[in-house]
Amino acid sequence: MTFWIELVATGLITGGIYALVALGLNLQYGLMRVMNISHGEFLMLGAYLTWLAHTVFGFDPVAFLPVVAILLFILGLAVYRLCFQRIVRTSPSVEVIEARSLLIGFGLMYLVQNAAYLAWGADMRGYSYLSDPVQIAGARFAGNSLLAFGFAMVASLAMLALLRWTMLGKAVRAMMQSPAGAQLVGIDTRVLHPAVFGLGLALAGVAGALLSMLYEITPGMGEPYTVTALIVITLGGLGSAAGCLAGGLLLGLVEAFGMHFTSPSLKMLLSYGVFIGVLLARPKGLFAR
Amino acid sequence: MREPLISARGVTVRFGGLIAVNGVDLDVHPGELVGVIGPNGAGKTTFFHALSGVLAPTGGRLLVAGEDLTGRAAHEFANHGVARTFQTPRVFRDMSAGDNVRFGLAFAGRKRRHARDAFDNPAAILGLLGLGNAAAVPAGGLTPARQRLLEIGMALATRPRVLLLDEVAAGLTHAEVDTTAQLIRRVRDELGLAVIWIEHAVRVLMNYVERVAVLHQGEKIADGDPRKVAKDPAVVEAYLGEELPA
Amino acid sequence: MSAELRRILVLLVAASTALATLPWLASDFMLSLALTCLLYVGLAVSWSMFSGATNYLSLATSAFFGIGAYVTAWGYESLPYAVVVLLGGLVAAAFAALVGAAVLHLRGAYFAVLTFGLGELVRHAITYAEKTYAKTVGRVIADPPESIDVYLTVLLLAFLAVAVCAMVRASRFGLALAGIGADEERAQTLGVNTRRTKILAFALAAFFAGALGAAMAVRWTYIEPASVFNPFIGFQTVLIAMIGGAQTLIGPIASAVIFSVMTEMLRLQFPYAYLIALGVLLILLVLYLPGGMASLFRRAWKPNA
Repeated sequence: MTFWIELVATGLITGGIYALVALGLNLQYGLMRVMNISHGEFLMLGAYLTWLAHTVFGFDPVAFLPVVAILLFILGLAVYRLCFQRIVRTSPSVEVIEARSLLIGFGLMYLVQNAAYLAWGADMRGYSYLSDPVQIAGARFAGNSLLAFGFAMVASLAMLALLRWTMLGKAVRAMMQSPAGAQLVGIDTRVLHPAVFGLGLALAGVAGALLSMLYEITPGMGEPYTVTALIVITLGGLGSAAGCLAGGLLLGLVEAFGMHFTSPSLKMLLSYGVFIGVLLARPKGLFAR
Repeated sequence: MREPLISARGVTVRFGGLIAVNGVDLDVHPGELVGVIGPNGAGKTTFFHALSGVLAPTGGRLLVAGEDLTGRAAHEFANHGVARTFQTPRVFRDMSAGDNVRFGLAFAGRKRRHARDAFDNPAAILGLLGLGNAAAVPAGGLTPARQRLLEIGMALATRPRVLLLDEVAAGLTHAEVDTTAQLIRRVRDELGLAVIWIEHAVRVLMNYVERVAVLHQGEKIADGDPRKVAKDPAVVEAYLGEELPA
Repeated sequence: MSAELRRILVLLVAASTALATLPWLASDFMLSLALTCLLYVGLAVSWSMFSGATNYLSLATSAFFGIGAYVTAWGYESLPYAVVVLLGGLVAAAFAALVGAAVLHLRGAYFAVLTFGLGELVRHAITYAEKTYAKTVGRVIADPPESIDVYLTVLLLAFLAVAVCAMVRASRFGLALAGIGADEERAQTLGVNTRRTKILAFALAAFFAGALGAAMAVRWTYIEPASVFNPFIGFQTVLIAMIGGAQTLIGPIASAVIFSVMTEMLRLQFPYAYLIALGVLLILLVLYLPGGMASLFRRAWKPNA
């Protein structure tokens, strides 16, 4: 019985991270149709920053989380301003924004990943943090896993709250539904777009920071998460933050169980299978009405 | 009664909770020129999307020359002779006007080679539309009014039997509208087409069509002789109490 | 056949014939360089045939290349070189048709990310299959063909890729692809079966990537998933095509030659810095010159949407 609890927990913990990463991409793509294929690289940066802070400067990784968020938010503002703003503003249609931002993201991916290789080398790095097991209801978990899950949930729920109840959140949702209408009532995309982009990268960075507590890190670690984020967005429905959360957790569970019954190497095959299945059966997401 | 060339039977289109088109019936026969009017948001363009296969209806059936094409892809509608223009002209901007017309000839027009050959080459079509001198100009460089004409040309290139025109008169002067309308009538006469014409500018339409259908909030509330429809109380109410010109 | 097409093909045959004499005239180093150039000409041109025309950004080149390489790894013992190359192309094409049928109806962004993940997906699947069924990690190519044979095969493939691309561009099929790239829904309303057209073009591009992978695989004596499914191949292909101008024929060709030379010279010296520079280059390009270098040379043609 405890085995199943542990399996479910593993799935949820992974899923929580997926949800966090997906939330960021969801906001960016849902709002601006910018598909930042380098999204995972910023997760990687968050991981490396935390590792640096901890191993070199002795910071507590948890205490460092808000710093990662802020740093990546600022980085996001810069990246948006330098790379994407022009595209979003000057492209003749949405399809063109998508196409061009994809290519830019592709270039960005190579830039960031190889900068990381240059700076830190290809070897795996890691640190140990709260890895002592904790007992809950007879099942054993590593302390850091629970912590990661907890923070992923807190961050996700905070995002949901932000979107639902704050002026910023309402502005974002308004923009997603009707760009023209939103601008008519005075919502300024010149401020909103970079802010949302920055927020997206901040979420990715936090996810990376959490991952660094659990696993070893390499410059190439971020790539798979971009694909996974898209799968989660599809599961949950584009533009839906709650869907993202649910979809992420669901995907985590499906993977955990799927890997157990088949093989860990087939993880990607499973995710793709889920992805294609959802697209064929319920293209608007599992939770669309 | 001749069989209708295009027939919508109880066509419904929903987007989630919003019902854009609600159980609309419309039969159009060869040679008929039918106008479709209605206040903003009445569902006219959505109805056209269903009629041309761009959107699959959520309910109801669509028949073209008796064949049930409900749910089929847009290219199948085109291959069965349903051609359309769009509210904002959608031409291939980087291709020349001539190539835009050639496009239609190369695909649906080729499948429908058996159909009438009155306008079967780009020069003839462009000439008909007064675009003969613009054959080599990139379509994106034409004025919106001429792009609208080009769209009609692209539609004709597919050798249609049904022509769906979405607001072709928008932004034109009276004289230009008149020319366009005469053009439409001529094409209808020579090719025996069924033409359905959406127009937001009601005045314009009523002068040229023989029959008009009125959509309001997704439903058809009137269908018949323009003068009678103009006086129909339901139609008047839909247009906020203004009596329509006959 | 139009006069222009005939001219292109004649030029192509002449150039290829000249290049075919290289093994007897040039040094080993030059031959190797030429081989890399031809590889990327083939990859970039076939990529543009689909992605340049339709604007569906495919990041699956590495996956198809790797599949082709593995067809060689599995088949080289029992089949002649020419056959495995052909087979590599066909298997990649079939795979592309399958994937295309599943995902080509999606919007461009989804399609791109999905094809991006394909490389990893196929790599994991093959690693798993090899470990579980063949009980091996990598495979050895014993007794590879002569470098001359490899060179001539790749030359032939590059020639075919360019020839096919030129013919497609001049055909109805190419017109349909251009229409899809310009306004897909509009093309549909004019009678183009966009689904079938896209899948066909995607499979055709994959054929060349797969065949080239199968041909080049013999240059590694030891084949394992990690080396063969190298994402850099896909990245380089996209970069080359975009820089040259993915909607033209000559753009990717010229660009492939320039880049292959540069890569050969710089990549080993400064592997990471070089890739960073390439990333920056792609970004600058998309921001300021979306039509690629070729657009600088075209007559007053409106910048492509």
